[in-house]
Amino acid sequence: MSFTAGAPSPETANQTPHCPPVSRVSSLGPGHPNDILPRPLTMRIPTLLSLLGAATALTHNNPPLQTSLTVHIPPSAPLPNPAALLPQTHATLNSLTKHHSAPLSGKSNFHFHNVTPGSYLLDIHCLTHAFLPLRVDIYPSSSSSSSDPSEQSPIKIEAWETFRGNDWGNKGEKVSTEVSDGKSGMMVVVARMAGQKSYFMERSSFSVLSIFKNPIILLSLVSMGLFFGMPKLIENMDPEMRAEWEEQQKSNPMNALMGAASGQQGGGGMGNFDMAAFLAGSGGGKEDNKGGNNGGGKKKNR
Amino acid sequence: MLAMPSATTLLVGLLALPSAVRAVFRDEVGHIDYHYQLLGLPQRETTFFHRPRKDEQGSLLYTLSDEGVLGAVNPGTGGVVWRQFLAGDNNNETAVGDGFARAGEGEGWVASAYGGEVHAWDAVTGRNTFWARFPGKVKDLEVMEMTEAERKDVLVLFEEEEKGETVLRWLNALNGDVVWEFREVTKDVPLQVSTNVEKVFVVFLKGTKGAYSLKVTTLDTLTGKRLDELVIGTKTNLNDEGDIMLVGANSAAPIVAWTDAEHTALRVNVLGLKTSQEFPLVDGTVEVEIHAPHLVQSQPHFLVHSKTATGNKGEVYHIDLKTGHIAKAYDLPLLPGKGAFATSSISANVYFTRITEDELILVSSQSHGVLGRWPLKNTNSKVAPIHAVSEVIKKAGADGSYAVRSAALTADDEWALVRNGEIGWTRPEGLSGGVAATFAEIPESEELAKSLEQEAHSNPVQAYIHRVKRHINDLQYLPAYLNNVPARLISSIAGTDVTSSAGKLSRDSFGFHKLVILATKRGMVYGLDIGNSGAAVWQKRAFQISKGQKWDVKGILVNESSGEVTILGAHNDFVVLKTETGQVISAKAPSSEATTQSTALIDTASGPRLLRIGLDGKIGDLPVGKAPKQTVVTRGADGELKGVVFIPDGTTAHESTSWIFSLPENQRVVSTATRPSHDAVASIGRVLGDRTVKYKYLNPNTIVVAAIDDKTWTLTVYLLDTVSGQILSSAKYNGVDPTKPVECAMAENWFVCSFFGQYTLRDNSAQSLKGYQIAVSDLYESEEANDRGPLGDASTFSSLDPVDVPTGVALPSVVSQTYIMGAPISALQVSQTRQGITTRHILAYLPENHGIMGIPRMLLEPRRPVDRDATPAEIEEGLFRYHPAIEIDPKSVITHERDVVGIKGIITSPAIVESTSLVFAYGVDIFGTRVTPSFLFDILGKGFNKVSLVSTVLALFVGVTMLGPMVRKKQINLRWSAPM
Repeated sequence: MSFTAGAPSPETANQTPHCPPVSRVSSLGPGHPNDILPRPLTMRIPTLLSLLGAATALTHNNPPLQTSLTVHIPPSAPLPNPAALLPQTHATLNSLTKHHSAPLSGKSNFHFHNVTPGSYLLDIHCLTHAFLPLRVDIYPSSSSSSSDPSEQSPIKIEAWETFRGNDWGNKGEKVSTEVSDGKSGMMVVVARMAGQKSYFMERSSFSVLSIFKNPIILLSLVSMGLFFGMPKLIENMDPEMRAEWEEQQKSNPMNALMGAASGQQGGGGMGNFDMAAFLAGSGGGKEDNKGGNNGGGKKKNR
Repeated sequence: MLAMPSATTLLVGLLALPSAVRAVFRDEVGHIDYHYQLLGLPQRETTFFHRPRKDEQGSLLYTLSDEGVLGAVNPGTGGVVWRQFLAGDNNNETAVGDGFARAGEGEGWVASAYGGEVHAWDAVTGRNTFWARFPGKVKDLEVMEMTEAERKDVLVLFEEEEKGETVLRWLNALNGDVVWEFREVTKDVPLQVSTNVEKVFVVFLKGTKGAYSLKVTTLDTLTGKRLDELVIGTKTNLNDEGDIMLVGANSAAPIVAWTDAEHTALRVNVLGLKTSQEFPLVDGTVEVEIHAPHLVQSQPHFLVHSKTATGNKGEVYHIDLKTGHIAKAYDLPLLPGKGAFATSSISANVYFTRITEDELILVSSQSHGVLGRWPLKNTNSKVAPIHAVSEVIKKAGADGSYAVRSAALTADDEWALVRNGEIGWTRPEGLSGGVAATFAEIPESEELAKSLEQEAHSNPVQAYIHRVKRHINDLQYLPAYLNNVPARLISSIAGTDVTSSAGKLSRDSFGFHKLVILATKRGMVYGLDIGNSGAAVWQKRAFQISKGQKWDVKGILVNESSGEVTILGAHNDFVVLKTETGQVISAKAPSSEATTQSTALIDTASGPRLLRIGLDGKIGDLPVGKAPKQTVVTRGADGELKGVVFIPDGTTAHESTSWIFSLPENQRVVSTATRPSHDAVASIGRVLGDRTVKYKYLNPNTIVVAAIDDKTWTLTVYLLDTVSGQILSSAKYNGVDPTKPVECAMAENWFVCSFFGQYTLRDNSAQSLKGYQIAVSDLYESEEANDRGPLGDASTFSSLDPVDVPTGVALPSVVSQTYIMGAPISALQVSQTRQGITTRHILAYLPENHGIMGIPRMLLEPRRPVDRDATPAEIEEGLFRYHPAIEIDPKSVITHERDVVGIKGIITSPAIVESTSLVFAYGVDIFGTRVTPSFLFDILGKGFNKVSLVSTVLALFVGVTMLGPMVRKKQINLRWSAPM
């Protein structure tokens, strides 16, 4: 079953406990607003988790069944060396009215003792790495009465991945469990790591390179290169070639534009611009006169 | 089954969280936050130097503190190497007595016992080597020196109080297997276990309380079988366990000693012998301690340390191993002041280190000749040692001199290491065990505020003259200010902290500079400067709290205008201190009986004050000036809630119950929450995507009460109107674990409750849920948008008068939603800002992850669309698709990589800048930071690179000044160049 937070499939969406477990207690106090929730809410009395109840009821005939459980952290890609985990890393098993906690051992194991049957949520709490939550079911082995009791452990342990916010029955991949070689009844559950925790935000740092990566800057740099480089290029041309090129330019619609640009560059155009004359409206004539002074240079340049 | 979601799902889940989570930048660590990694007060019997690796030289300092933290400290730096919070999983603290910790000489482990659990830890890494839980409570833990194999093991003495039995277990130190078990079924009180070379001794108190005698049971080491049993007459009345001193647990001749109530004589019995010897004590002795080596190979010498009210004295005794006769060897003189002794052994030699308030003396147990004497340097901080541990090293070389380092607990609850007379480090362990804390403004500018007020009230001319005078007066600070300018400029550009001038407390323009007043369970009060990394400005012992007791603080209130803080305790005690200096203005010591249920912050005619609520909710009559204007909600004798008003009658105001809210049978209150006293609301409505407004239900007189039914495992959350006692809303949650904590928090128009739940869904009984959950409820005036409900725009309303509409009382419209948390949360608190414009964070301690999380309120929004993607209008409003799980996003953990242990409470305070809320957390550790739930929008953060800004401006300036002449020159050249 695929489940993603972004776009869950219809089945998984149904499994989300979207309905708040709210029921109005109408017996208390006056004036109970029974109908103020925007979503229609029917009174449903949920039953407690039947699995747990059944399991404990089954085992309550004689001394309560207990078992030891070991959770192992294997080396994995995010954590090649589990010995590097901090010593305060610990694991918890939680179920209704039950809570077990176990510290991390030197061999990267968590040993739980005296765990009674039930369906538990296994969490591993670590400062540096995140682990996947697991569902651990401990239940009396049904076949224990028939087969040889010395051979078979009276308790079975199974573990699956579980998904927070999903149905508890929605079990994920089964996690390998094995009977450890030592004592009977010692089960090993292999923990799954989600990845390393990164607590910090990266600060965007200033660098010259990042400026040059900007396409606008790149574009402007290219045009600047043209702007400055063209006149130089033309200047260094063979006189005959230049004449030829100028002939070509005359028929080019871009000619005027380029000419203006190179003219400004060559003659320091803006420096000569007579603002007063331009504003006085006699721009055209004056420009021509000035052009005589300067345009010669321009022409010479070409 | 479809494809399995796995790590990728979780990852996607994490990524799907809103990017609005504002994590900490790495360069802000230590700049905006501070953390005291504490252990708690080291205990005399559970603190020791130990070499964790046999073949390596260095040793570490280990302690199991009064807070239940076992830790290893580097004696060179005072830094914590590792620590384990043993008390963390013990929910019922009262059932746990002292812890025990021991290390086997030459072994690589440290064994500890706390409650009913025994642990052994790798001494270097702090990893667990084994742990075991047995019924009953651990009464003693000892190292078994003599085992058949070449290793040392652990002996643990358990008392199973219900059955009146005592069990001694020998545990294999490698795997925790029980080697043998000795069970004593007589109802004697077990005291201690000791071993010598061949036997194991278990010491019991026999008889009834008040008239005990001692019983020593001797066991065979290898089998655990009873060999002998001796009853020793005590001659004096032994009242309880505290009268007995047991020492030399594993020495060649372990002893037991006791004194009479008047401390006139000390009686000593060498375990295994029937007789005891008596030795006189110094006149006026108030306390006796015995120090003896803990190793079998050490000489059987011990030191009696008698403390009088003014001084302390040591006497060294030798035990004859053959006859068991005890003889006094020599005296160490009576010195005034506090002092401590510590025992160290090098092979068979035993050394005693004496630490007094001004020197460190080393003597051998053989003779009274002083082997080394080091006067304590830098005595500006007076060391008044309570108890100490020492490590003695005999230097190689002909002169045979010694080097000593001692870790001593001082009377000020500090742990100091003295190395050859120099104080190497001090750890402020007294800051642990915080029970109450509050923020206080630095009361410096109050004078200015007063003079400004004076100016406002006088006539303009006078005010003007006053002002000019004030400014002329201020001129005297100008040179100092100008002096400061270059330093401030540089630090501002470099981004370093501006250190407050000459250690003087002063407010800053952002409001980050405040004081935190912290009260600890040991009767100490601290003033911490949170603008200066939480450094202690002052510390004061308010009360001497006797061992085993704790200061039960019920209320703490700062009066900003007078600069005073009032702390009310449960035992009818109070203390008033100056916030700036810690000077005690008035105090009343705790009485023997608890008289106070709780306290309430009330508004009176004479300003805000703390009201003491007696047991069973009794308050009594108050003077009119001190009577509350509001209704006070108290708890009655049977757990019911009562609304109490005060009716003025002449000069006194009479207490009168205005309503009683009785919980249904079997329900008990587990948590309550009210809106914080500073709860600024920026907007009275929420603008929806379609530009309509949903108006918030902002009733200041509301309280959230969470009650649990232990039988049916249901949690009911009530929202009460505190004026009328009316239930405004209630919600019932099934399958809630009553043994796990339930906590609520409230702010503005919403409240949250967290609990562990396991239940089947109501709308799909085939599905069930298990996990830690948080339920959030929003209150609105009406279900409809653009509707203000029955009250309309009325500026006032009365909860007591019925509203003049047919539907009845104005009840809020409640929108609720439940989320599953990735980890349990506790100590819920809501971030506070000055105007309330900034979105809020729900700050919660993660007891398992050892961190504090800031859950964005946006994430917990109950109106998030379910089963469909958010519409553009909803997205505009900030709503996104509901996803039931909230993982603990590391980016939202405000303590980031820090390991913050045992937080009991979190307090928040607004700063002057709107974006920021100050956070302070106390418990075992101390942690403080600033949170910016809506990012740092009103001041420049550390990310603003002033250097690059300044250098850009400078570069532009340089460019312009260089290009200017060039351009001018070129233009001139152009004009003058001849046309060709």
